[in-house]
Amino acid sequence: MSATHHAHGSLPAEPEKATLEGRNKILGFWLFLGGETVLFGTLFATFLGYNNVKGIGDGPDPAHLFDLKLVALATLILLVSSLTSVFAVQAMHRHDKSKMLLWFGVTVVLGLAFLGLEIYEFVHYVHEGHTFSTSAFSSAFYTLVGFHGAHVLFGSLWIALLMLQLVKKGLTVVTAPKCYVAALYWHFVDLVWVFIFTVVYLMSKVG
Amino acid sequence: MAANHHTHETNKPHRYEGPKNHLITFAVSILLTALAFFAVMANLGKTFTIMFIVLLAIVQAAFQLYVWMHAKDRGHTYAKIGIFMGGIIALTAVAAVVYWMWW
Repeated sequence: MSATHHAHGSLPAEPEKATLEGRNKILGFWLFLGGETVLFGTLFATFLGYNNVKGIGDGPDPAHLFDLKLVALATLILLVSSLTSVFAVQAMHRHDKSKMLLWFGVTVVLGLAFLGLEIYEFVHYVHEGHTFSTSAFSSAFYTLVGFHGAHVLFGSLWIALLMLQLVKKGLTVVTAPKCYVAALYWHFVDLVWVFIFTVVYLMSKVG
Repeated sequence: MAANHHTHETNKPHRYEGPKNHLITFAVSILLTALAFFAVMANLGKTFTIMFIVLLAIVQAAFQLYVWMHAKDRGHTYAKIGIFMGGIIALTAVAAVVYWMWW
């Protein structure tokens, strides 16, 4: 009832925080992100544990495997997509639904471009003899980086479905918290990538 | 705030500064990322480089959390407690596993 009321001209300035349900959804999502941090933290711990000479076994070593140019491009794509999702939330605060759809659309396209690069990278590595079961290092690598890639895939699908809901139901106090939370998720995925390119790719090239 | 008290919420002045802060954050993120890549290619010594790039990553993460995810805004106390608890447990796991497996 109140959702349709707000849809017709009197949407509050911050529609995502206009209802108690919306505010609870955002708080609950932050707590979920705390749990996600633990999950990624343990995967980073596993990777760091095995990312030494003892863990490489018969497979290629990370310093020769990783191509920093490809990683730099992937990082740039993900950083830009984080910015475009910020623009989508700002468009939401201006109640500009078409701009929201535009910026979320750009975010999804960039997310899929990132995934394309990652698939290319993984196929290339398998070609070099770096498969999931080659060594403890390769298992830890594919688990951590692949898990992040799965998050990017999930986020892209999630935002794409939210765009459909925006078209169908419009921007209301019900749809706004969902969009805000999806943008939070996207930033978090970008934040995790910052640590992946630092710990997985850059650290492997040091020394 | 009190001076702008209107009956209709739509008349409330916008509390966001527009895209300026976000564009600055974006530029800084790109700069920090580039700096990390250059530091690795410049061969500045293993321990220094690792400490330097991890510090850059933490600064960049803080920018994401505080500016892009609005953790600096009012009413985010519990959100911050939630994410920092996660961060502390994650760091404990990293420290424990690295200590356990390397030494």
